[in-house]
Amino acid sequence: MSRLICPFCGPRELREFDFHKTLPNAGETPFERVYLRVDSLTHSVEHWQHVRGCRAWLQVERNPSTGAVLAIRLAATGGAA
Amino acid sequence: MKGPTPRYSALALIRARFQGARYWKPLWTGRSLQPSYDVVVVGAGGHGLATAYHLARDHGLKVAILERQLVGYGNVGRNTTIVRSNYLLPENHYFYEDALRRWETLSRDLNYNVMYSPRGVADLCLSDGDMIDASRRGNAMRLAGIDAELMEIDALERFAPELIPRQDRRFPVVGALVQRRGGTVRHDAVAWGYARAATALGVDIIERCEVQGLRTEAGVATGVETSLGFVKANRVVFATAGHTGMVGKMIGMPLPIETHLLQAMVTEPIKPLIGSVLIYVHPGHGEVYILQSDRGGIVMGGFLDGFPSYTREGQWHRLEEVVTSAVDLLPQIGSLRILRQWAGTNDMTMDGSPIMDSVKYNNVFLNAGWCYGGFKTIPASGAACATLVATGQAPDIARGFRLSRFATGHMLDERGGGPFPVRL
Repeated sequence: MSRLICPFCGPRELREFDFHKTLPNAGETPFERVYLRVDSLTHSVEHWQHVRGCRAWLQVERNPSTGAVLAIRLAATGGAA
Repeated sequence: MKGPTPRYSALALIRARFQGARYWKPLWTGRSLQPSYDVVVVGAGGHGLATAYHLARDHGLKVAILERQLVGYGNVGRNTTIVRSNYLLPENHYFYEDALRRWETLSRDLNYNVMYSPRGVADLCLSDGDMIDASRRGNAMRLAGIDAELMEIDALERFAPELIPRQDRRFPVVGALVQRRGGTVRHDAVAWGYARAATALGVDIIERCEVQGLRTEAGVATGVETSLGFVKANRVVFATAGHTGMVGKMIGMPLPIETHLLQAMVTEPIKPLIGSVLIYVHPGHGEVYILQSDRGGIVMGGFLDGFPSYTREGQWHRLEEVVTSAVDLLPQIGSLRILRQWAGTNDMTMDGSPIMDSVKYNNVFLNAGWCYGGFKTIPASGAACATLVATGQAPDIARGFRLSRFATGHMLDERGGGPFPVRL
């Protein structure tokens, strides 16, 4: 995993992107949303931002045990294409 | 091997000289899993081994360590061996100082040479602002009775001549906060020494035994389900570092932890060049810490890779940044070749400080969330966690590490970075 494919910019080096937080939230209270994490060995849905590029917010699905990127979508559309 | 663990001494070495290879026995023995224990410790890394050692030595309990892989396979053998206690917050610096004092005598306590080398740790400053920050942290340490020395350029030149502090460079080094008692400890020896000392006290270390679930009855844990069957336990301690998130999943309780990778690398060996541990934050490329191993290789590490991962494969861009910063600081090492590069999984909490507390059940404990600072606290963590498990009360120096602090707003945010492990 050395690149991510931005829906706007195409394949770009990983250093252009910042990871923000995993999804879904662990609960509904502010404490649960801010501090707790739902962890998975094999399937992780995350918010990233192409912060040193087009600045789009992205929803990235990955396998954190292999590094494989399963899907990248715009976060603004709630993960829909 | 049967019988008591032989004691190492100068006399024993002379005896070994005449006995030859017959003298050297395995450091610890394979044990068989018993059906029931006072305490089951999950994870045979530094913290698990130290916790088990203190449970057996200080509290006389019957303990097993269950390890999915092998003793010392994880972060205790992957870190950059640095020990120091130069922290700002009292909850942290008293605890880390307790660890540093234990490192000073650990070789004697374990009867095993862990090669504590107090070569000094220097946090380098690049500006007046850095010096003000450093003096604030140094003063906080000195008020707590911890050694700290703010060095300006003349003193730094004598302390670390390899830096050539006065050379013309874009980001000149103007001083440093130095802790002389900080330094390095041979990390493999720590795992081996604790494993040897623990088994000598009757602790069973069971390798290749994966804990798959926690069995509970009426709100109390009764034991763990493992790949070798059920093991009954009055108390269970999880010291699983990078896989602590999976413990949360196993007991059905999300934790304030993300697992991130931290990488390190080492060059080919050269003659002695770097006499201390140098920590340097380059304004453009980020953090690097550099030391020279006893074998002569230049060991370097930097910041986290930046996103959750269990791969143990470091990202290229971080390696490049670490090396760029290192060569900027020490241009002399620019032509060396990197021999090896590796990564470990770090249990990053949302405030960067550890968790030592019971979790969900009164008899289930977490020794976790050590972030990228776990190695240097191993001896203090083992002693404090053993007290917590044996008595139900954490000792005073570990009271700040409660799990509930995230909900009550008593964060120990050393970095002042907010609830994100990796915001740069």
